[in-house]
Amino acid sequence: MGDERIDLPQGTLDLLILRTLAVEPQHGWAISERVQQVSSDVLRIQQGSLYPALHRLERRGWIKARWGTSDNNRRAKYYELTRTGRKQVDVETEAWHRLTVAVGQILESM
Amino acid sequence: MLSELRYRLRALFRRDRVETELDQELHFHFEKEVEKYVRSGLTEEESRRRVRLAFGGDSQIKEDCREARGTSFIETTLQDVRYALRQLRENPVFAVVMVLTLALSIGANSAIFSVIDSVLLHSLPYRQPEKLTRIFMTSEAFPRFPLNPFDFRDMRTRNRSFESMAAYTRSDMQLAGSSGDPIRVNGFRITSGFFHVLGIEPESGREFDTNAEIPGNELQVILSNRLWHTHFGADPKIIGRKITLNAQPFTVVGVMPPGTAHPGNEYHAVSYGDDVDLWSPFAFEGDPARRGSHYIEGIARLKDGVTAATAQAEVFSMMNAIAHEHGDDMGHWRMLVVPLDREIVGSSRQMLLVLLGAVAIVLMIACANAANLLLARAAARQRELAVRMALGASRTRLVRQLLTESLLLALTGGALGLLLALGGVKGLVSLLPSNFPRLHEIHVSTPVFLFTFLVSSVTGILFGLVPALQASRTDPRQSLHEGGRAATGSARMSRLRDALVVAEVSLACVLLVGAGLMFRSLLNLLHLDPGFQHQHVLTANLWLPSAAYKTSPERSRFYEGLAMELESIPGVSSAGLGSDLPWTGWDDNTSFSIEGRKPPPHQDFGARYHVATWDYFRALGIPLIRGRFFTREDNANRPKVIVINQALANLYWSKGDALGKRITFDDHPKDSDWLTIVGIVGDVKDKPESTNTHPAFWWSALQTPFSQMSVVVRANADSQALTQAVGAAVHRIDPSLAVAEVQWMGEVADATVATPRFAFVLVGIFAGLAILLAAIRTYGVIAYSVSRRTPEFGLRMALGAQRMDVLLLVLRQAAVLTLSGAVLGMVFALLVGHVLKSMIYDVNPSDPLIFSAAGVFVIAMALAACCLPARKATKTDPMIALRAE
Repeated sequence: MGDERIDLPQGTLDLLILRTLAVEPQHGWAISERVQQVSSDVLRIQQGSLYPALHRLERRGWIKARWGTSDNNRRAKYYELTRTGRKQVDVETEAWHRLTVAVGQILESM
Repeated sequence: MLSELRYRLRALFRRDRVETELDQELHFHFEKEVEKYVRSGLTEEESRRRVRLAFGGDSQIKEDCREARGTSFIETTLQDVRYALRQLRENPVFAVVMVLTLALSIGANSAIFSVIDSVLLHSLPYRQPEKLTRIFMTSEAFPRFPLNPFDFRDMRTRNRSFESMAAYTRSDMQLAGSSGDPIRVNGFRITSGFFHVLGIEPESGREFDTNAEIPGNELQVILSNRLWHTHFGADPKIIGRKITLNAQPFTVVGVMPPGTAHPGNEYHAVSYGDDVDLWSPFAFEGDPARRGSHYIEGIARLKDGVTAATAQAEVFSMMNAIAHEHGDDMGHWRMLVVPLDREIVGSSRQMLLVLLGAVAIVLMIACANAANLLLARAAARQRELAVRMALGASRTRLVRQLLTESLLLALTGGALGLLLALGGVKGLVSLLPSNFPRLHEIHVSTPVFLFTFLVSSVTGILFGLVPALQASRTDPRQSLHEGGRAATGSARMSRLRDALVVAEVSLACVLLVGAGLMFRSLLNLLHLDPGFQHQHVLTANLWLPSAAYKTSPERSRFYEGLAMELESIPGVSSAGLGSDLPWTGWDDNTSFSIEGRKPPPHQDFGARYHVATWDYFRALGIPLIRGRFFTREDNANRPKVIVINQALANLYWSKGDALGKRITFDDHPKDSDWLTIVGIVGDVKDKPESTNTHPAFWWSALQTPFSQMSVVVRANADSQALTQAVGAAVHRIDPSLAVAEVQWMGEVADATVATPRFAFVLVGIFAGLAILLAAIRTYGVIAYSVSRRTPEFGLRMALGAQRMDVLLLVLRQAAVLTLSGAVLGMVFALLVGHVLKSMIYDVNPSDPLIFSAAGVFVIAMALAACCLPARKATKTDPMIALRAE
């Protein structure tokens, strides 16, 4: 746990969860582990934000949950993208790219 | 969208399942995290400790998840309700007092407002009722005097102000019963177009046309829907049928729809409402040149854009012209055109408005009480709120919680209030005098209930919220540090509480003074010497049909026979017959000449006239002042005589001079046309509350027998037996006569004080309620202050103060509050008293006795309320009190 960790900007948490689930269905712990690994420990999702976010996404119908068995035979709740969820990943990714490009341009040019 | 709905529904209704799943999910996460640490080489125990530290509390996550699920609003509300219920259960006195306060104010207000709404605000059941007016002649002595039929007919043809005009006069009829005894029915004779003016169409048939106004065509009748049902079995072929009224065959030409309301009348009054059984045509009989008798009343519909005032001016100029054409002039007479609604509601309007004021005061007190209770409670709960905030509750969450509590109280209070309103309106209607305008139209009105409910709830919510906001603004640390004691008494809050007490005490004072004035007025009315003795007097009404009793001798034979029959009933001490009874609104007047005297220019000698048999006065208990009563010998064969009242004797003659003087009604009297005054009797008040008596005289019933008569029987006998005996006596002479309106004179007298009694009872109840609320309030404030000052008292006593000193200390605080309240209240009451002026009889609206009594009473009540907390203060144990500090 280093000082290099940064807080997630508003709205990016949903995108990260959706993008992670786009690879394969995962349970909550795996999602946070995955994000941490892929971001080389820079991004870390606290469970205090993770689970409310999952519930919110489920309510919006972008992900759905089902109970399955995890690697060591324990019951775990797996989340996967719904059809609208898949579309949402594209929409949000696109929006994110536009945002970063725009922010980048401003930062470069001044 | 649909999936979202499904999700939320599942979350809401499978709540337990969803919660368990969340538990399992979080637990799984926890275990995986522990596993991770163990893998990195830590012991199982150390791993668990670390994860637990990192996790913090589960509950916050769960709460956030619930919020994310989108069902938290309902869930939180349910939770708040449960919490509120628990809070209220813990504090039952607070809950009960709050709910009762709200219920009482909502209930009482809705009930009174409903009466006012039904009586004053609902429009009358006629077409465009605001255009209807009543037409009277008017003078100082006779504010509402009927019209002469021919004058009316002339006005009808000439007028330009009215779209239509009609006239009507009371004319009860005797309906030959299809089975058994004949009955008397309420009837009116009406000119053509009477119902057209009102804007009511007959349900079947038609109303009278102008042909019916021609003498000889008057044997027609229109039935009320009620009579059609009760006596004619709702016969669909009733139109054209002949029915027997007053022993004559009348043809039914129409049946009115149900609820056809009589517009009310003055002369032989029937008050507004559905009380008329049938209508017959008014025929213009007699010589149009003679216009002395006035007995029909006008009703008319204004043209668009014409006001009652304009119409009144036009009617007056018309009447002036008409009088001149007949060699007469209006003298001191004027014309009066009054909007019908004002005429009907009239004096009740003011009483209702006064009651409205009273109930508004109670509402204000109740709201102040509720506010105060909530304020005190919020102060007491500041510590609890501080703890909850320290534990992480958000401000909005606390406000919501308190709001839920207030709403819960308001709703419960409202529900109870509705029950009270329903019962209250029933109670009010039963208390109201039966001639009260629009009595049968009174019902709880929904908008009114909603309005009062809203007012009370908003008060509850507002005052529930203000302290909640204030409490949530306080720094939890401070409240917790100070043990929640000092934080309760911000100076601003206690000033607000004191102000509310002063306001309540002053309002209670106003109500008490009002009730006192009304009570004195009622006592005055009850102890008023009416000029006769109404105890043990049974009365009834009879009417001799002109078809069967065509001539005077026939009628006087009946009078004589019946009077003797009545006298012979066992237990009867005296019995008589007269044209009318006191206090029933009889107001028939005539002018006359006095032998050897000339009236002042433009004036006539005149008086109200009545008829009486020899024992009529004795039966009513009217005292003889001079001369003699009538005797059985004062009949048609003897010189004509009259008995006059003192008012008439004093009006035209000096003391005692009237006896033996003669008057006449003829312009060119023969000697036999003169009537000699043989007796002077005591004055009977015109109405129970009137201070004076109209000048009046009585003809001997055996010389001038009227068709209309009232029976007066003074007896010490059982009511039912006596009623039967009177009926039997009548039927022994004529079995075809109907005996109507049998009642004790006491009931007649009672009915006349019913309205003032009603007003007093209500204002009295309100005053009692107000004092109770104010006393509770004072108690609350003082008790609260005593509990706060316990350490101070302890300190004082430790330093040598006596119990008495402490007692005085507390009482002084209470006295300052109640005294200022009382003084303020007296000032208000002085202003209010003048509003009451027209409602109170013979009472000074700033009567010092009532004011001081009310003041002393309110102060005593308030101080009594403080005794308990004051005594508690004196029992303070200095040691305990100081240690508590």
